[in-house]
Amino acid sequence: MTAPSPAPLPPEAWVAALAGLPAMGPARLRALLASSSPDDAWARLAAGASLPAAVAATCRPDPVSMARLWRGAAGRVCVADTWAAYLDAGVTVGLPGRRGYPPELIADPDPPAVLFSQGASGALDGRRVAIVGARRCTRYGRDVAYELGRDLAAAGVRVVSGLALGVDGAAHAGALSVVGAQPVAVVGSGLDVVYPASHGGLWRQVAATGLLLSEAPLGARPEPWRFPARNRILAALAEIVVVVESGEKGGSRHTVEAAEARDRQVMAVPGSIRSEVSSYPNSLLADGCHPVRDALDVLVALGLSVAGDLSSASAAESRPTPPPNAADVLDALGWAPATLDELCVRTGRSPGVVSVALSDLQETGWVAERAGWWERVAALAGRRG
Amino acid sequence: MTAIIPSATLLGVDGTSVSVEVHLSNGLPSYTLVGLPDAPCRESRDRVRAALLSSGFKWSLKRVTVNLAPSGLRKGGAGLDLPIAIGLLVEAGVVEREAVAGCGFVGELGLDGSIRRVTGTVPLVAAIESRVVVVPPDCFAEAMVVDRHKVRIAGTLSELVAALRGQSPWPEPPVYAPCPVVPDGPDLADVRGQAVGRTAIEVSAAGGHHLLLSGPPGAGKTMLARRLPGLLPNLEGEDALTATRIHSAAGASLPPGGMVVRPPFRAPHHGASAVALIGGGSGYMRPGEISLSHCGLLFLDEMSEFPAAVLDALRQPLEEGVVRVCRARASVSYPARFLLVGATNPCPCGEGGAQGSCRCSPASRSRYNRRLSGPLLDRFDLRVVVSRPDAGAVMGGAPGEPTAPVAARVAVARELSGARGVRCNAELPGPLLDRLAPLSPGAARLLEHRLRSGLLSARGLHRVRRVARTIADLAGQPGPVAEDHVCLALSLRAELVPAEEAA
Repeated sequence: MTAPSPAPLPPEAWVAALAGLPAMGPARLRALLASSSPDDAWARLAAGASLPAAVAATCRPDPVSMARLWRGAAGRVCVADTWAAYLDAGVTVGLPGRRGYPPELIADPDPPAVLFSQGASGALDGRRVAIVGARRCTRYGRDVAYELGRDLAAAGVRVVSGLALGVDGAAHAGALSVVGAQPVAVVGSGLDVVYPASHGGLWRQVAATGLLLSEAPLGARPEPWRFPARNRILAALAEIVVVVESGEKGGSRHTVEAAEARDRQVMAVPGSIRSEVSSYPNSLLADGCHPVRDALDVLVALGLSVAGDLSSASAAESRPTPPPNAADVLDALGWAPATLDELCVRTGRSPGVVSVALSDLQETGWVAERAGWWERVAALAGRRG
Repeated sequence: MTAIIPSATLLGVDGTSVSVEVHLSNGLPSYTLVGLPDAPCRESRDRVRAALLSSGFKWSLKRVTVNLAPSGLRKGGAGLDLPIAIGLLVEAGVVEREAVAGCGFVGELGLDGSIRRVTGTVPLVAAIESRVVVVPPDCFAEAMVVDRHKVRIAGTLSELVAALRGQSPWPEPPVYAPCPVVPDGPDLADVRGQAVGRTAIEVSAAGGHHLLLSGPPGAGKTMLARRLPGLLPNLEGEDALTATRIHSAAGASLPPGGMVVRPPFRAPHHGASAVALIGGGSGYMRPGEISLSHCGLLFLDEMSEFPAAVLDALRQPLEEGVVRVCRARASVSYPARFLLVGATNPCPCGEGGAQGSCRCSPASRSRYNRRLSGPLLDRFDLRVVVSRPDAGAVMGGAPGEPTAPVAARVAVARELSGARGVRCNAELPGPLLDRLAPLSPGAARLLEHRLRSGLLSARGLHRVRRVARTIADLAGQPGPVAEDHVCLALSLRAELVPAEEAA
């Protein structure tokens, strides 16, 4: 039951409590806050009053049962306790126009009604580039995302991404390998719900050194519908969106569409035309986006550098040149993953000979093997992480 | 007086000797059968009675007691009909006691007096100690396999009694000529391309290394696996006899020559129960698929569809070559030394290989991969990815090497491993690897490097060494294992289910 609190709670507390109600999506929350102040809205819901027309419109087909659901849920929550939990967790509740809400989002066509954040808000003061891509990326995509994250962070750019598996995580891992970097992550679940679980370390590091943002309240599960919503915030916060690898139907598509709706520049990393996960970036390039061959291309697009400036160019190749028979196998491998059998077919040699060459290449760092598939490794130069 | 007739019953894949004791005494007419008979055995009373009457003998109106000794052992099957009938006839004085001295009997009786075949003739006859054994005509070939007794056949009870009394000669046994064994089965030439798959099955056949084939549907995994048995050499001596005994005990049909000579090939469906696969069952305890594939090949197609419990039950037999089934009444151990070949898809949708083609969610993918537990995967010495063949190779390419030359190479390699004192290289004991399969310096350096970088575990090291030894044998090099052989062995043992990588 809502107990009377000794000091009046700030509007942030009421909004945080509202956002925590079941089935309270961004659209419904926004409609609710548009019609009344947060504490009034809460009181009305707790009393079970009928919903304002604008709110009811978002609760089709049955606004009455939704109102009943919210009344029941509101009755079980103590707003003061919820607010205390947020304060204890160090989570800032950002309302439009108030502290903790990025100014860039105020003029957004679809701004979030509330933004929860953890970390240094100063992380957003700087040039910002979003690096997005597929969860199921190739070794190439992962390596490129890592290097872009690292080199852009080294140049002082804030790397913005989603902390998902694959490209997102690699980009932030690269950014975090640079001392003093301040990466920004926008996630789809509550700030206390680490998803995916394997990214727990990254999550904590970003919260510690940079900024962690979410539109979802504490405890919210990473439901599928939250991710497209999260992607629009990624696009809104970035100046440039770089797509590293993505299939034609990936989530990155949504981020790109949101970026274009907000007039943000989109760039893409080209890939092999035979690779399924380079199909979307390649088609973006065909539609006129600029290619990203390295961090320098992004810096030039930001205006931070001039083409021809080699300060962030890769260092000289430190791996020994592969011997002739191994070089043939390396050529045959190309940049897409291949099985031992495919390499035998391409080179026309027996498995014994090809496996010797692959062993040499693996020892010198030119190729890596994963689950029976061999992949070429991008340059090792400069990898410190 | 008691008539004692030797016979046998099945316990697992082995027969145990049974003495059928028949005792007639004065008293109200009754028939009692003791000695833990199971259901078919208990029904023998009616069959024996009808058979005796149909054959023109009298059913004695005395108090009949039949004991199947040893009485603590469960007796199964209908093979004890015939010895019971003979015992009754001896007690009734129809047949002389001396006529059946030193004779064992096995057979089921029909109501018309005919003597019918029994399953498991080979182990049953092997368990009978008598010099002469009488079996149904259909079981003659199997009884001859044991090669220890004088085998006589009789088609009906009256025929048998006439022969025992000396009134007519014993029926002629069918002509028993062991025919030459022609390995039939699909030929390796049907497989187009697939260089790595061919190499893998050749190495598997030569060294007895368990093989896992992973790939999308239609890649040719089943096709390759079905051509592996053709590469294995014929069974000889003890192995052939054991395989024959097991097949006989399971009621599986034996080849025309009577002996199992070609290595058995078993491919159970993934709906098979654990008991069907491992063996056991209540009462009878029949051998399972893994015993039927003893000295042969067990092919588990769609391995990830098998229940995890069933797959885990395979681990102990894979390690020991024997499966022990324990029940309250008895424990049985069956031989189960087989070559395991598994075929699996990389993920539920099947396309998991090249990144980007897979349509599965990460959750379903990891759930699928968890079915093949780490310890089970570790048992496979060879783990290869089989991808769909090139369209050009399938349509127009030259046929690959046929089975015959590959089988010849495998036979030579097996001889080399036989000279090391093991049946096949996969059985080389770990501590003796340094002596029996030494490494060249280059090979040792390469393996050490892999060990240090964590790409290879200590157990994996032993497995790779054995496979490398087989590869060297196939290449005709008896000396120390070279670096090239180790490279190929490492390539053929991919880590098919990697742990999820954190970015």
